[in-house]
Amino acid sequence: MRHAFAIARRELRSFFVSPIAYVVVTIFAFLSGAFFSNMLVYYVKQSTIADRQIALVGRSDFQLDVPTMFLGEFFKNESFILLLVLPLLTMGLITDERRKGTLELLLTSPLRPGELVAGKFLGAMAFLSVMLAPTVPLFVFLALGGAWEPGVVLASYIGLLALGGAQIALGLFVSSLCENILISAFGTYGVLLILHFVDTSATIARSIWVDFINFFSFNFHYLNFTRGVLSLGDVIYFATYMALGLFLTQRSIEAIRFKRS
Amino acid sequence: MISVQQLTKKFGRQVAVDSLTFEVQKGEVLGFLGPNGAGKTTTMRMVTGYLPPSGGRVRIDGYDLYDHPIEVKRRIGYLPENPPVYPELTVRQYLEFVAEIKDVPVSRRKAAVDRALERAQLQEVRDKRVGKLSKGFKQRVGLGQAIVHEPPVLILDEPTSSLDPKQRVEVRHLISQLKGEHTVILSTHILPEVSEIADRVFIINRGRVMAVDSPANLSDRLRAREMVTVQLRIPGRVGPGDSGKLCEEVRSAFAALQGVGDITVQPDDDAVTVKLESAVGVDLRPEVAPLVVGRGWQLLGLAADSLSLEQIFLTLVSDENEEARLPPSRAERASASLAEAFGEGGKPRTTSQVDGGGKLMGGSAGL
Repeated sequence: MRHAFAIARRELRSFFVSPIAYVVVTIFAFLSGAFFSNMLVYYVKQSTIADRQIALVGRSDFQLDVPTMFLGEFFKNESFILLLVLPLLTMGLITDERRKGTLELLLTSPLRPGELVAGKFLGAMAFLSVMLAPTVPLFVFLALGGAWEPGVVLASYIGLLALGGAQIALGLFVSSLCENILISAFGTYGVLLILHFVDTSATIARSIWVDFINFFSFNFHYLNFTRGVLSLGDVIYFATYMALGLFLTQRSIEAIRFKRS
Repeated sequence: MISVQQLTKKFGRQVAVDSLTFEVQKGEVLGFLGPNGAGKTTTMRMVTGYLPPSGGRVRIDGYDLYDHPIEVKRRIGYLPENPPVYPELTVRQYLEFVAEIKDVPVSRRKAAVDRALERAQLQEVRDKRVGKLSKGFKQRVGLGQAIVHEPPVLILDEPTSSLDPKQRVEVRHLISQLKGEHTVILSTHILPEVSEIADRVFIINRGRVMAVDSPANLSDRLRAREMVTVQLRIPGRVGPGDSGKLCEEVRSAFAALQGVGDITVQPDDDAVTVKLESAVGVDLRPEVAPLVVGRGWQLLGLAADSLSLEQIFLTLVSDENEEARLPPSRAERASASLAEAFGEGGKPRTTSQVDGGGKLMGGSAGL
């Protein structure tokens, strides 16, 4: 595993040498902040209206659980941003190594393909963590305001990391298949979008299929985290995708060696 | 140090490397010479463990590549055709990374990087981004990368291609300095280069060894000669009949010329083609016309081909025909006729013939 850390460190270093990393982190922080404040203002307004209704007529049309609803919406949006950003992050992971010829260096070094894949994955996960870090102060701010649900926030962050991990692992695999970075990006978008939103098909499916379709959806499992539900099943679900992605990447890298050029 | 047996690589039905067998002794520099697509890169990739072979064995320092890939890879420094660099890292960062994945222990890592910087003459650019460097420097970074873990074996794939002549000389100089400390396999398609650096040269084409020799013997062998091609017609002697006698007559006529070397006579349906060899600087053409006319023959064509080192090399490696090779010496011609007598038995057994004794392996020399 020593080699994996070396590769992860190199990966992270290369990310932060290029301006792309800073742009991505900045935009992610900005969007998160904007969603956060917009939604916070929206729910505060809603609750004000509800309060007024109660004061006037003694009851409200709204069933509000502001902290939970707000957090649910916010983390749902965060998952959409991840869906947009992560394929751009993973598209080059193996594709670039192939293009630059550095894959030849790595595969002629005394390391196992598994260590290479693990290193790549860890590097991208570290980047994801760096990207998520600027959103943490938002919740410090929320906590200062008094009303917040630390359990839901924690579960949601675990959910984001789990979802991001699965997306990275699959993106890594697609990247190992592609010699062209654009194909790698679009391929990853395709795979991830389908897996994310396949639960929308469940709404029109016959009842026996609903659970089956939902089971495959990233979104379906991820939303459980944002509701503050930390179930072993959802964790295993995402862990399985990670393991599958990493395993396939390793096989795929072995296969690259059999190819010409 | 390096032992390769029956190494074969097939891509689909195409055979890229055809049961190659060779040994490289400790401290020796072996040059791979061949045109692009000859199988040099494929061979090197197999020896370094990047490309899995279709057949055959590779042993480095006593370790079998298949059984102990990690041990073997630790002992090899490899510079692929394009230096495998991360342009966004500085030279030092890059070498540190390579040292780390090549298992240089932490305590020795800094010293190893410093040594590689010094050996590859990279001190002046050590804190520059690799992507900003010139091609020559990038190539040196590639060399630095190959030597940073002080491997006993160095494998360099066309280390000087894509460089300008000045950089080429510098890199060549660097490589010759690495001689002795490392066992080196080096590929190139540049003849003088290999003769400058290598102790022993393999000429390979289409995955097969065409010749093995020391550079001195090889350049002796491949030295330029003058060649004149004469086409003539002998009136009254049309048709294939009695061609043996005719050939003898033509040969003896031309043998009388001053300075002529080997003569090849080839009768066609109604003409005879004669190839005359001579030493460099001897031009036979002025003598040819009077001789032909004096005999009462008709001169159809007269052309001079000067075979340079490169051209001979090209004929050796680029001809579709396996028999294509140097004009045979007398001894070889004898063995060639023997080979003809034995038919298929005289076919070259190229790979098993690597005796280092300076024999050309093409054609029928395998007998």
